[in-house]
Amino acid sequence: MTTTTGRPFVLPGETVDPSLVPTHKKHPLRLGPGLRHIPPSDIIPTVAGQLVTNPVKNSIWVEYNSQRYIPQPGDLVIAQIVRSTQDAYLASLSPYTASATLPQLSFEGATKKTRPMLSPGSLVYARVSLANKHMDPELECVSSATGKSDGLGPLTATAGTGTGTVFDVSLGFARRLLMARSREEGRVAVLEMLGGEEGGGLAFETAVGRNGKVWVGSESVKTVIIVGRALQETDRGGLGIEEQRRLVKRLIREMR
Amino acid sequence: MTATTAPEAALGVLPRADGSARYSHAGYTVTASVNGPIEAQRRDEHPYEAHVDVIVRPAAGVGGTRERHLESLLQSSLSQLILVKNFPRCLIQIVLQIEDSPENDYANTKLVQASLNFGIMPALFQTSVLALLSAAVPMRATATATAVAIVLQDGTRKKVIDPSPREIEAAKSVHVLAFTSRDELLLAESEGDFTVREWDEVCEIAERVCCRSTVTKEGIEMMLDDEVADGPDTRHFLRSAVEDKVAADLHWK
Repeated sequence: MTTTTGRPFVLPGETVDPSLVPTHKKHPLRLGPGLRHIPPSDIIPTVAGQLVTNPVKNSIWVEYNSQRYIPQPGDLVIAQIVRSTQDAYLASLSPYTASATLPQLSFEGATKKTRPMLSPGSLVYARVSLANKHMDPELECVSSATGKSDGLGPLTATAGTGTGTVFDVSLGFARRLLMARSREEGRVAVLEMLGGEEGGGLAFETAVGRNGKVWVGSESVKTVIIVGRALQETDRGGLGIEEQRRLVKRLIREMR
Repeated sequence: MTATTAPEAALGVLPRADGSARYSHAGYTVTASVNGPIEAQRRDEHPYEAHVDVIVRPAAGVGGTRERHLESLLQSSLSQLILVKNFPRCLIQIVLQIEDSPENDYANTKLVQASLNFGIMPALFQTSVLALLSAAVPMRATATATAVAIVLQDGTRKKVIDPSPREIEAAKSVHVLAFTSRDELLLAESEGDFTVREWDEVCEIAERVCCRSTVTKEGIEMMLDDEVADGPDTRHFLRSAVEDKVAADLHWK
């Protein structure tokens, strides 16, 4: 299999060719996921993937896809409330892992008197505020700097009468959906198409969690299922832009 | 059974597991699933490192003492490969299901329970490494394994790479060796009668099989004739199998 010359394939434990490591006059070198630094000067991959560098930001990382989410500070995730304790909720980020804590006061406008009531099973869109290998991860639904929610909080359809549900996707696909320019950089346009002319202007809203979960909400249950299926099939089939267009057209035809 | 077939592998065969692989070589077919890092049971919990749990399921029947023995060997060598210190109090679970093993033409081995031996170790080891790579579990290095038997033939002792069940039955001794991708010896298990000198020779052969780097000259891969007889190029095979999977995952890049 050929990889393009810009992104060499690496296996764990292989030596990274020093000529591939970027150098910069001002910024220090930043190591991204999939690499570890062994002092003094060894940079060794820990996962199998393609080595990607960004000379402008002086960063280097390994690009790969996986299924199991490992929390990192600053990630936006969709968490499911497991139970409530005295001053925090316990929320699950992925199955069979230790639950994350979500303090009841880390919601917008929450005080000791007025705190949001979340029942077990309800979903929240949150940011990972603390992730440490020796501790359970901690979540927040409010920006600690501004005190605003910035779109975080309990996931409910804004229209009031609508419904929503969560679909599982691979972590790589969730990351592509979260890219600022997902069509150009991530090659996913399936959501735009469903809301655009190919999908006949379906009305829905989504929230993408870095932990491989996508929440889809809409007035009609049919729309929720179509959008969720389109996302999952795009992920599993590894569809390109043109194939995504065909998939959207097929799903819309089947719905009628 | 033909023992000199080329190895085959498929990654990500089980959609619900975090990582999975199916590997077949020398008549053995093994499917592995990897889940992790997940929450460990209280009794398996270690405060500073992840617990690696290996489960070997035979093709027929339930596992016995031999499977537990193979599990403990795999468990100790795989914990050396995985960066267990990155995931304290976690569990990394590897389940190996043997699907097919070569038949012994001379004995009726169909549906014989708990007759695993060192012959299957390389297949189990290779499958677990491939499944771990597919699950993107952080690892120190990759590894390859091979089995070598010393068979008494016409009065001389002959060394056989990837022996068949018949050869294992008749062998004086059977050895399993694994080497990491940095040519370090990771696993060395032997059974039978052998001398230190014989073991040294076996180790040399195994190192040649496991650590052979394909001779590359100006972009052309050159295979020397005497190397073909040494069995498959395991390291190169591992690399190309994973490379295919990664390229398919990152098609959008």
